[in-house]
Amino acid sequence: MKKISTLMLHNLKKAKGQYISFGVFICLTAFIINIALVLAFQTFNAYDSLFDKLDTADINFIIPELQDNKTLFAEMEEIDGVSFVEKHGGVFMPVTVREFAGSDFDMNTVFYNLDEERTLNLLDVTEYSGMNDGSVYIPMYMKELGGFAEDGSIAYSIDGKEHTYNIGGIVLEMQYGNYGTGMIGGYFPKAVYEDFASEYSDDVIAEYSLKTTGTADLNEIKNTISEILREKGIALLNINDRDTSKQTRTMVCTLLIVIFLALAAIILAVSIFLSNFRIRSAIEDELAQMGVLKALGYTSNMIIASAVMPYILVGIASTVIGIVLSYAVLPFVAGILAIQSGFSYTPAFDIMAMLIVILTLTLVISLFSYISAGKIHKLEPINAIRGITGSESAGQNILLFIVSFGIMVLLSFAGTLLYNVNVKPDNFMNTLSEELPSVIFTAEDGKMTELKEFLDNDSRVRLFMEYASVPVSYEDGSLTAFVCEDFSKTTNDICYEGHSPVKDNEIAVGNAISDGYPIGNEIELTVGNKSANYIVTGYIQSVNNAGSVCQLTSEGYEKIGETTNSVNVYLYNKNADEFINEYEENHDAIIKSSVNFEQMSENGRRMYTGIVSVIVMILFVISVLMVLLVMYVIINGVISRRRQEFGIYKAIGYTNRQLTVKTAFSFVPVVAVASITSVIAGLWYLPAINNTIFSLIGAIKNHFEVSVWIMIVFAILFIVVAFVISILLSAPVKKITAYSLLKE
Amino acid sequence: MDRQTVISAKHLKKAFGEGESLQVIYSDLNIDIYKGDFTVIMGSSGAGKSTLMYSLSGMDKPDGGEIHFDGTDITKLNNDRLAVFRRKQCGFVFQQIYLIDKMNLMDNVIAAGVLTSKDREDIKNRAKELFSLVNIPEKTWRKTSSQISGGEAQRAGIVRAVINNPNVLFADEPTGALNSANSGAVLDVFTSLHKKGQSIVMVTHDKKSALRGNRIIYIKDGKIFGECDLGNFEQDNMERTEKLDKFIKEMGW
Repeated sequence: MKKISTLMLHNLKKAKGQYISFGVFICLTAFIINIALVLAFQTFNAYDSLFDKLDTADINFIIPELQDNKTLFAEMEEIDGVSFVEKHGGVFMPVTVREFAGSDFDMNTVFYNLDEERTLNLLDVTEYSGMNDGSVYIPMYMKELGGFAEDGSIAYSIDGKEHTYNIGGIVLEMQYGNYGTGMIGGYFPKAVYEDFASEYSDDVIAEYSLKTTGTADLNEIKNTISEILREKGIALLNINDRDTSKQTRTMVCTLLIVIFLALAAIILAVSIFLSNFRIRSAIEDELAQMGVLKALGYTSNMIIASAVMPYILVGIASTVIGIVLSYAVLPFVAGILAIQSGFSYTPAFDIMAMLIVILTLTLVISLFSYISAGKIHKLEPINAIRGITGSESAGQNILLFIVSFGIMVLLSFAGTLLYNVNVKPDNFMNTLSEELPSVIFTAEDGKMTELKEFLDNDSRVRLFMEYASVPVSYEDGSLTAFVCEDFSKTTNDICYEGHSPVKDNEIAVGNAISDGYPIGNEIELTVGNKSANYIVTGYIQSVNNAGSVCQLTSEGYEKIGETTNSVNVYLYNKNADEFINEYEENHDAIIKSSVNFEQMSENGRRMYTGIVSVIVMILFVISVLMVLLVMYVIINGVISRRRQEFGIYKAIGYTNRQLTVKTAFSFVPVVAVASITSVIAGLWYLPAINNTIFSLIGAIKNHFEVSVWIMIVFAILFIVVAFVISILLSAPVKKITAYSLLKE
Repeated sequence: MDRQTVISAKHLKKAFGEGESLQVIYSDLNIDIYKGDFTVIMGSSGAGKSTLMYSLSGMDKPDGGEIHFDGTDITKLNNDRLAVFRRKQCGFVFQQIYLIDKMNLMDNVIAAGVLTSKDREDIKNRAKELFSLVNIPEKTWRKTSSQISGGEAQRAGIVRAVINNPNVLFADEPTGALNSANSGAVLDVFTSLHKKGQSIVMVTHDKKSALRGNRIIYIKDGKIFGECDLGNFEQDNMERTEKLDKFIKEMGW
């Protein structure tokens, strides 16, 4: 080591700029990988530890208080796998939250008594305003996404009546949490709650919270609960469990981790190409010097080490800097995630993540630098001195092509994401959810035909269909069944293999159980004491239900369950609010309840748009930085190698401007070819990338459209930016004079 | 007086290319290099002077034959062992000088010195002595090759070549890229080193350079075509000049 230190230091000093650019790349890679790893290691753990800290129940279900009976509690305690049961009171109803992120927000809400004694589902009031009178405490999700502050007020519209409360504080809870879980909580101080509960006494519920043993199968327990309630004729208003909530609340985090890791892989690949190019160029440029070093008695390994060690040292230093910098940004990233997850935590220093990042990057840099420098082994000293390399040149154009292609992959991915969230939001929402109607009506018993007649004659209605989500059981647990009168009418085809059921003995099952039920095999479903066998015709996906879903035709479901009475309504225009008001006013006798799904989708879209915008911004910044650094390395090399040529050009009358533009233009063909190739290849690789990323969160089939026009616009922008950067970086050509070359 | 053989090469073979483009440089060449000699290898362009010198020094491998350098057959050594052999036994001075650019003169010398010594201070002290021997002032030690004259650079190259006290100093046309004044200064350094007992093998086709040697070997047609003992170099030695002139004329120069 001591023997090569002089050479190593010399190499470091000689090509400072090259090492700095390499260092910036590695710093960026370490920065992104560390963010992804810390999120991966800590978000899920933070979720679990908050879940445990607040003694959150593994399963919660709510029933109308009027239907609650004395034996139910004991029956719950006796279910195999249940270790503890607690009952809470509450008021459950669909509400419209006014001015939620600037518009109305419909959500099923359970209002609780904040002061009720409880040992499960504890609440952590994280921000307390001290305004207790006439106040409500809202979950963190409402603050993060809805924009409510702890010292402001909030207005709920319930059954057409407006209720405005001061916001007493923000509650951190792990029971519900976000839009994806389908329910959120509201928490009143005792006096306010009692007034509210007496005003809405019909909506008072009993909530059973169940803690289970570590090995218990939650689906099986949920199934048992459903059966018990069914036998007793008790309506199950809602049931949720630990795993589904966790998956829903950490979905964006998972997506972000995958995107960050993919991004880091691309940047790392560029860094490797860059260091490879740099080392090979150095061997080309300093061939004679390497021959001299061999003549002096340096072994090939010593010369390789002196070439590779600076990269490793710079790599390690940059990795450490990247890791340190990532901790400055992690709280911000965790804050963004809190918008979707509804819980916040402060990322802490993670030694495991740090070691993985340092070891991985050091290993990759060492390996690829060594491979790049391996050519030195074959270099005969005398041939090196005589300038015989026995191999081809360093491949600057290949590097530029690969890097341009890589950057275009990033930009195309960013563009596709942006296009499918902002321009065609249904594509994004359809990927993450099931049907996206404008309105969901629940008809009063026996009034479905009448409701459908009204809808059929309404010119504002583009489409309607009977569609409901109901729980069913199978031998390993419970599933959410999407029941539809005709799946060919659905607007979001979530079937990724085979086809949706057509006959009453057919079923399509979710990706969570697809492995156990090959297409063509049978599955037995049970509701209450009725069972039936169905033939699997296809597989469907569902992000929100973690894939534990199935599709049944209405006739198929009626073999085991009651006739459903929900109908999805799709309107031509976005006026669901007005539509619902009118129907509730004019057809009160046939409509039991209605949901403004358009508003709910809009809220979801707004949340995802915010997150995607941040991702896209990061991708843009990284792309520009990559172009800048790669062009710097290449142009620097070109100017250094072609000094003499530039001097001669100047001597015969070329101006600085002409030479700068000429240099910058020389890169355009490669960048353009790479961009065009990437646009063409993008038609194939973008769906593949999207499929890979989204399948990790359970969306095996995504509905993203790859817009060629967006890619072309991005390609043109990329070529222009690369050209402008090249012009700026070619400025040192000005310093070369014919006279200075003569002097040299 | 018996002369001690430092390098003994037997039946050396070397050719470049293959098939119709095969160019045989030498097919059965035998040569001995003696300790303390300033051996000059001369010959016409393409005769294989440099190829022979680089074979003798372990920089290039002959296609056949043996080269015993201080008792070791260096044709049997692998590349790494050859590198270790070179750092201990050989010093090299090149026509194009090849100082490591952007590295100052002192560091250039240290880069060679650290290969045989762990004592950096000792290397520096030896370098300082050698710099003063070759007349490079202290203010120049921290300059890079692009900041000094060609003569100074070549003298620094000689310091780098001898910093490890090599058994043999090899020089390939060391004045080929220098003007007359600088050439003289560089040759004076070689003479001075020779006087101190340094064995030198120099390839040149410059008569003035050749006059600094005591033994002239002429290569022609892949063989040692002739050899001339000039005796030690003295200033204004007309007799040696005439002897060399006569020798190279006989060789067909």
